[in-house]
Amino acid sequence: MTTLAKPPTSDDTAIAEPRLRSAIRHVVTTAWLFPSAALLIGLFIIPTCYAVYLGFTNLELLGQYAQNYNFTGLANLQRMIHDPTFWLSVKLTLIFVIGSGVIAQTVLGLALALLGQRVNVIARSSVGAIVILAWVLPEITVAFVWYSFSQAGGTLSHLFGVPNSDLLSTVPMLVVCMANAWRGTAFSMLLLSAGLRNVPREVDEAAQLEGAGYWRRLFTVTLPIIRPTLMINLLLITLATISDFTLIFAMTQGGPGNQTAILPVYMYIEAFQFNQLGYGTTIALTLVLIGAILSIAYIRQLRPELQDSTS
Amino acid sequence: MAKIVLRRVTKSFGQKVAVDDLNLEVEDGEFVIVVGPSGCGKTTTLRMIAGFETPNMGTLHIGGTLMNHVPPKDRNLAMVFQNYALFPHMSVERNLSFGLRVRHASKKEINTQVHEIAEMLGIRPLLDRKPAQLSGGERQRVALGRALLRKPQAFLLDEPLSNLDAALRTQMRFELKRIHAQFPVTTVYVTHDQVEAMTMADRIVLMNDGELQQVAPPETLYAEPVNVFAAGFIGSPKINLVSARIDHSSGGSALRCLATAIPLTTEIADQLRSAQSETVTIGIRPEDILPQSPMDDTPGRAVVSGTVEVIEPLGAETHIAVRVGDDILTCRTPPRSGLEMGSTINLSFDIAQATIFDGTSGLRLC
Amino acid sequence: MSADQLVTTEREVTAPAVVRKRRSLARPVLNVFMIVIGLVFLLPLLWLILASFNPTADGTLAMPHPFSLLNYHLVIRAGAGAAIRNSLYLAGVSTVIATAVSTMAGFMLARRKIRFKGLVLVLILFLTGLPITLLLIPTYQIFVHLNWLNSKFYTSLVLASMSVPFSIWLLKNFIGQVPGEFEEAAAIEGASEISILFRIVIPLIIPGILVAAILTFINSWGSFLIPLVLDANPSDTPGAVGIYQFMSANGQVQFGQLAAYSVLFSVPVIILYLISSRWLSGGFSFAGGVKG
Ligand SMILES: Nc1ncnc2c1ncn2[C@@H]1O[C@H](COP(=O)(O)OP(=O)(O)OP(=O)(O)O)[C@@H](O)[C@H]1O
Ligand SMILES: [Mg+2]
Repeated sequence: MTTLAKPPTSDDTAIAEPRLRSAIRHVVTTAWLFPSAALLIGLFIIPTCYAVYLGFTNLELLGQYAQNYNFTGLANLQRMIHDPTFWLSVKLTLIFVIGSGVIAQTVLGLALALLGQRVNVIARSSVGAIVILAWVLPEITVAFVWYSFSQAGGTLSHLFGVPNSDLLSTVPMLVVCMANAWRGTAFSMLLLSAGLRNVPREVDEAAQLEGAGYWRRLFTVTLPIIRPTLMINLLLITLATISDFTLIFAMTQGGPGNQTAILPVYMYIEAFQFNQLGYGTTIALTLVLIGAILSIAYIRQLRPELQDSTS
Repeated sequence: MAKIVLRRVTKSFGQKVAVDDLNLEVEDGEFVIVVGPSGCGKTTTLRMIAGFETPNMGTLHIGGTLMNHVPPKDRNLAMVFQNYALFPHMSVERNLSFGLRVRHASKKEINTQVHEIAEMLGIRPLLDRKPAQLSGGERQRVALGRALLRKPQAFLLDEPLSNLDAALRTQMRFELKRIHAQFPVTTVYVTHDQVEAMTMADRIVLMNDGELQQVAPPETLYAEPVNVFAAGFIGSPKINLVSARIDHSSGGSALRCLATAIPLTTEIADQLRSAQSETVTIGIRPEDILPQSPMDDTPGRAVVSGTVEVIEPLGAETHIAVRVGDDILTCRTPPRSGLEMGSTINLSFDIAQATIFDGTSGLRLC
Repeated sequence: MSADQLVTTEREVTAPAVVRKRRSLARPVLNVFMIVIGLVFLLPLLWLILASFNPTADGTLAMPHPFSLLNYHLVIRAGAGAAIRNSLYLAGVSTVIATAVSTMAGFMLARRKIRFKGLVLVLILFLTGLPITLLLIPTYQIFVHLNWLNSKFYTSLVLASMSVPFSIWLLKNFIGQVPGEFEEAAAIEGASEISILFRIVIPLIIPGILVAAILTFINSWGSFLIPLVLDANPSDTPGAVGIYQFMSANGQVQFGQLAAYSVLFSVPVIILYLISSRWLSGGFSFAGGVKG
C-alpha cells in the first residue's frame, strides 16, 4: 500500500537514542537517587557490615581495648553460650514478644476489630480514639505512666489487690508486657479492621444461611479469610516488639536483677554500662538472627496464600 | 508542513507485540481515522507518534524530521488521551490554559482563547470546577478543549467522543469537522465508532492484532475490503460471509453454497482460478440481498430460499435474519414488510456485487 | 462504596427476622463490653492528665483539688522547654532530610527504568526491618572516628536515615499510583521536566509527602536510644531523654511534674496524628483526572 523509496537509513534496526540525551537522563536519575543511596549506604549498609565484624572483636567503650581492639574469633560466641544472663535474656525476649505482642496485642486488637463491626458508631469511634491515642503517645510517656501506675499505692496495684507492693519489683515482666500491650493494640486493631472490611459480606451471609452460628462463622469463615492480614500483623508486631528498647529501659532499666533485661536492653547494658561494645554487638546480631528466623517462619506461613491468590 | 510517516515501526512490550511492522503515511492536513478491535495497538501507535513510547524498530518522521528520540514536549503535538488525563488539582480553566501558560503566552491571549474554546465546547459554566466535579462527557470535552486550544503540528485524538451522548456526539463530530475544514491540521483520530470513521475520515486505517490491514478512503474500504477481516469489521449490520466451493465443471464454473449452485461469468471464474484452495468465502452486504416475491423475475440474480428467524424493526428499515441451510443471511428490508417469524422467504442477490475471498488466506480475489 | 451501602440496606431489609432479633439482643451487651475495654484503656491516660494538674500527685488515679498549673510551671523552669526545642530540632531536621531524599528516590524508582530495581527495592524493604539496636554500636564507633558525637545535626542525620527506607517505600508506592498520563499530558502540552515536576508531580503527591513527613516526625520526636547514645551533650537533650533523666534523677519521683512534662511532650505528636489521620481517611484521590 505504502511503498516508499528506500530511505538512506535502514529501518530494520532500532534507532539508538542519541548518546548525549541518554547520558543526561542517566546522570539525572543517578543524581536523584544519590542522596538516599548515600544515607542508606553510610548509615545502614556500612554499619551493618561493620556490626558483623565488631561482633567478633573485643572492642570496649573505654580503656585498653577502646582503640586497639582485636579480632577474637568466636570468643564472644563462646562467652555468650556460657552466659546465663544471655539465656535469661533470650527467654525474656520471647516472653515479651509472644506474650505482649503476638498474644495480647493481636487478641485485643482482633477483639476490638470484631466488636467494632457490631457495636454502635459512638462506642466504636470513641473507644477507637482512646486506643489509638495510647498508640500515638511517645514511648517514654507510656513508660512513665505505667511506671507510676504500678508503684506501691498506684492504681494498678490497687486493681491487683496488692496496694502496698511495688508491682515493678514483684511482677516486673507482667507490668512491662501490659504496658506494651496497651501501647500496641491500636496497630493490630487498625490493620485487622481493614482486613475485616475486605471480607465479602456474601461469604458470611452464605454461612448464615447454612445455619452457622457466630463463633463457628468466625473460626471457619472470617478468620481463615483474613489469615494473610493476621500473619502480616504478627510479622510486623514481632519485628517491632523484638527490637523495642525504650519502654522497658525507661521503666526498669532491665531490673530488678535483670528480670526484664530483654535482648536490646541487655545489649545496651553490656555495651554502654559494662563497656563491652564487642560483646554487645554479638548480642545485637543474635537478636537480628532471631528476628530473621521468626520472619521467615511467618512468611512461610503466608506463602501458600500468596500463591493461591496469584494463580 | 507536518506529514507523519511511520516506516516499519514495531513496538513490543516484553513478549507482546503491540504494533507489528507498521507502515503509514499521513499527509499534511489529512484527517486519518484509526480503527480496529480493542487491543489491536491503536493507542500504542498514537503514543509512539506522541513520543511516550519509543519504537523498538523502524522510524518515525514528523514534518520531515526523524523523531524517534525527540522528547514529547519538543514535538509540538496536541493529544486527547483515551482516559482524559486532566490535571486533577487544576480547575477546568487552568487545565485548558496549561499549554499556553508553559509557553508563557500573555494573560490576555490566554483569556480570550480559553473562553472561545469553552464557548464552542459548551463548557463555559464549568471553568472554575475541578475535574472531579465533572461528568464523563464534560471531562471529555475539557480534554478536547485542552488539545484544540493550541495550533499544533498535528492532533492525536484517542477516542475523543466515546463518552458523550448521541446528540452531543453528533454535534461534536460536526464541530471537529468544521475546525478541521477551517484549520486543516494533520489529525490522527482513534475511534470505535463506525459512523465517526465513515463520516469524518479522509482515509481510514484499519488495524488488527498489531498489524495494518488496510488504509483507504471510507467508500473504498467499504466497497473493496482487502480481506475477510476488513470486510467484517466495517459495515453495520455486518457483511454476510458464506463459505462456498468452487466447481469448475464442463458446463461452466459455479459456486456451490446455500444449497444451490450459483453460475459464474467467465470473468469471475478466471479471477477465482488464483484461489489457493477449493473453498472461498463470499461476502455479501445486507443491502445487496433483496427479498423476492415468487413472481418476480430477475435474470442473473441468484435466488435462495430460507426461513425468517429474527426480525429487527429499526424504524426507517427492518433487518431480518434468514436461515438458509447452515448459514444465516442478514438483509435490509423496507419497514412494515409484513414478514413473520418462521415464514419462508426467497432472497436474491447478484454474485457480481459480492466480494469473494480466498478460503485459506482470507484475501480478496474479486 | 455506594454499592457497598446498597448491599447493607438491602440486607437490613431482607434479613430474616430471627437473625435481626438475635442481633438486637446482642448489641447492648457488646456495647457494654466495648465500653469496658475502652475504660480500661482510658485509665492510664486519665491518670496522666489529672496528675499533671496535681502538684501532690502519686501513682493513684485521683482528682486534683485544686487544679493547678504549678507542675507545668516547674517543669518548664527545669528545662522542659529547652528539651522540647531540642526535640523539635531533631525531628524537624531529620524530617526535612528524610522526606526530601525519599521523595527524590521514590520518584525515580516509581517512574524510571533502573537496573536491578527489584533487588534495590527488596534491599530497602529488608532495611526497614533492621533494628536500630544492631546499628547502634557500629554507628557509635563510626561517630567516634569521624568525631561526630555530641552533635545535634549528625544525630538528626541518623534519625533521618532510620526513616528513609520506609519513606522511600511509601512514596514509591504513592507515586506509582499517580497515573503517568498526567505527566505525559503535560509533556505534550510542551512543559519541561522541571515544570512538570513543580506544576504536576509535586502538587499531586503532596499528600504522600506529608504522610511520610508526619510519620518521620512522630518517630524522630519520640526517639530515645539514638540521642541517648550519640549525643551526651546536656544542652542537646531532647524531650524523651529529658523525661527519662527527670524520672531517674529525683530520688523521690515527682509524679505531677513528670506528668506535666509528658503531656507537654506528647501534645505535638497527637496534634500531628490528628491532622494526618484526617488526611488519610479523607482519602485523597485523583478522581476526575482519569476515566475509570
Ligand atoms: N505498557 C504496556 N505494557 C504491556 N502491554 C501493553 C502496554 N501498553 C499496551 N499493551 C498491550 O499492547 C496491546 C495494544 O494496546 P493498545 O492500548 O494500543 O490497544 P488499543 O488498540 O488502544 O485498544 P483499545 O481500543 O481497547 O483502547 C494490548 O494487547 C495491550 O495489552
Ligand atoms: Mg486504546
